[in-house]
Amino acid sequence: MKRLTDTFGFVGRWILGIFVGLGRIGIFFLSTLRGIAYPPSKTGLVIKQIYFIGHKSMFVIIFTGAFSGMVLGLQGYYALSKFGSEGFLGSGVILSLVRELGPVFTALMVVGRACSAMCAEIGIMRIDEQIDALRCMAIDPHGYLVLPRLMAALIAFPLLTHVFDVVGVWGGYAVGVKLLGVNPGAYWDGVYRSLEWQDIWMGIVKSLVFAVLTITISTYKGYYAGVDRGSRGAEDVSEATTSAVVTSSVTVLVADYIITSIML
Amino acid sequence: MTEPDRELIRVRGLNSFYGRKQVLRDLSFSVEANRIFVIMGMSGCGKSTLLKHLVGLKPSPPGSIYIEGKDISGWNHAQWNNYWLRIGILFQNGALFNSMTVAQNIALPLMVHTNLPKEIIEIMVEMKLHMVGLSGTGALMPSQLSGGMRKRAGLARALSMDPEILFVDEPSSGLDPITAAGLDELLLSLKETFGMTLVVVTHELESAFRIGDQMVVMDQGRIIAYGTPEEIRQMNDPRVQQFLSRRPDEEHRDYDSYISRLCKVKRR
Repeated sequence: MKRLTDTFGFVGRWILGIFVGLGRIGIFFLSTLRGIAYPPSKTGLVIKQIYFIGHKSMFVIIFTGAFSGMVLGLQGYYALSKFGSEGFLGSGVILSLVRELGPVFTALMVVGRACSAMCAEIGIMRIDEQIDALRCMAIDPHGYLVLPRLMAALIAFPLLTHVFDVVGVWGGYAVGVKLLGVNPGAYWDGVYRSLEWQDIWMGIVKSLVFAVLTITISTYKGYYAGVDRGSRGAEDVSEATTSAVVTSSVTVLVADYIITSIML
Repeated sequence: MTEPDRELIRVRGLNSFYGRKQVLRDLSFSVEANRIFVIMGMSGCGKSTLLKHLVGLKPSPPGSIYIEGKDISGWNHAQWNNYWLRIGILFQNGALFNSMTVAQNIALPLMVHTNLPKEIIEIMVEMKLHMVGLSGTGALMPSQLSGGMRKRAGLARALSMDPEILFVDEPSSGLDPITAAGLDELLLSLKETFGMTLVVVTHELESAFRIGDQMVVMDQGRIIAYGTPEEIRQMNDPRVQQFLSRRPDEEHRDYDSYISRLCKVKRR
C-alpha cells in the first residue's frame, strides 16, 4: 500500500512540477512583454542582438543548409529513381526545406550557438548579482536582458531560415544536377511549380514560434539559474545551460509537429 | 540633503525565511537620516539577507519595514522604481556588468533615467571615478580591475544618480588595510559633504566603529546589540563581548581534541 501511495505521490509531484514550471515561464514571458513600456530604449540593444543571433550564426546556417540540401538531393534522387521520377527532385527538396527542415534546423542551430550563450551570460549575471544590480537601478531586467533578445530573434530567425532554404536548394542542385545528372530545367521547374505562398508562410510562422519558444526558455533558465536551490555557483550556470539547450530543442520538435498538424 | 534625526527606515519585528529555514528573527531598529548605520555580525548571521529586505530584493511581510513611514510590503512597480531611483547599492563584489567598460557601467543609470547630453554624462562619470580614486580607468573592462578597484568602481556606479540613501555590502572585505581605510574615509565624506544616509553591512570591527553612528550586532538571525558605538562597546552581553574581542567559540578553539578525534577515526 505504501509503495502505491509513494508512486502516486511521485507522479502527482511530477505533474504539478510541470504545471508550476509552465506557469512560471508564462509569467516570465508576460513580464518580458511588459518591458516594452519601460526604459531604456531597446533599439541599440536589439541591433546588438540581431548581430549576435543573426550575423554570427550565418556561417553555421550556410554550412548546415548546404549539407542538408545535398543529403536531400542524394536521398531524393535514389528514392525517385526507383520510380523513374528524378524530375521531381526539385519539388521534393524545396518542400522539405521550406516546410520542415529550414525552420527546424535553423532553430536547432541557433539554440546550440546563440541560446546556450545567452543562457550562460544571463546565468552568470544572476550568480554575480548583476541582475539584482539592474533591478536596484530601477532598470527592469526582463525589459533590458530578455526583451531585446526576443525582438532580435523575431527578426533574425525568419531571415536565417530563408538563408538556410536558399542555400539548401543550391545544395540539392549541386548533388542532383551536377553530380547525379538530373536535368537542370526539370529541377528548377519542380522548385518553381511546387512552391506556394502557403509553404513559405508555414516556414515563417514556424520560425517565429521557434524564436519565441527558444529565446524564452533559454533566458528563463539563465535568469533563474540556482534560484530554486538558493545557491550561486558555476554548477548552477552549467546545469541551466544544459537544461536550456535540451528543453529548447525538444520544444522545437514538439511545436513543429503541432504547427504542421494545424496548418496542413 | 536630508534633515538629520528624521527617521528614514523603520524595521519592526522582521522575520525572514529561506524555504523552511528561518534566517531573520524578530528584528526591530530604525535608521535616521544623515547617519551611518552599521549592521555587524559573523558570516552567515543574516546581514546580507536583511540588506536584501531593505532594498526590496526580497519581499517583506506586511508591517515589518517602513520607508519614510510607508509600509513597503504593498508597494507597486512605480513606487519601487521611485525608491530605487533614490537609493544606491554597492554589492559585495561590485556586480559590474562584464560586457561594458567601467565608464559604461557608471553611465548606464544616467543614460536610462535622465535626458542629459552624452558630453555631460561623460563629465559626470569622470567625476564619480575621481571621487572613488579611479580617474582614468573608465575605458577598462571590469575583468581588468583588481578586487578593490572593482569595488570602488561599483561604488562609483552606486553614486551615479546621487542617491539619498546608500546601501553598502561588505565594503572592506578582501581589501588591504590602506585601501579599506581610504574607502571608510570616502563613506564618511559622503555623509558629511553630501548629507547622505548610509547603511553599511560589515564584519570588520575597526571599520564599523570608525564610521558608524549607530549599529546593530547580529547573531544567528537575531539582533543581540543595538545602539551607538560607545553603547555597544560597554555592553556586558557575552556574545557581544566575544564578537568584539574576536574570540572564537570554545568548540573551535579545542584544536587538540579535534586532532586526536581525527587520528582515532584514521586508525579505525
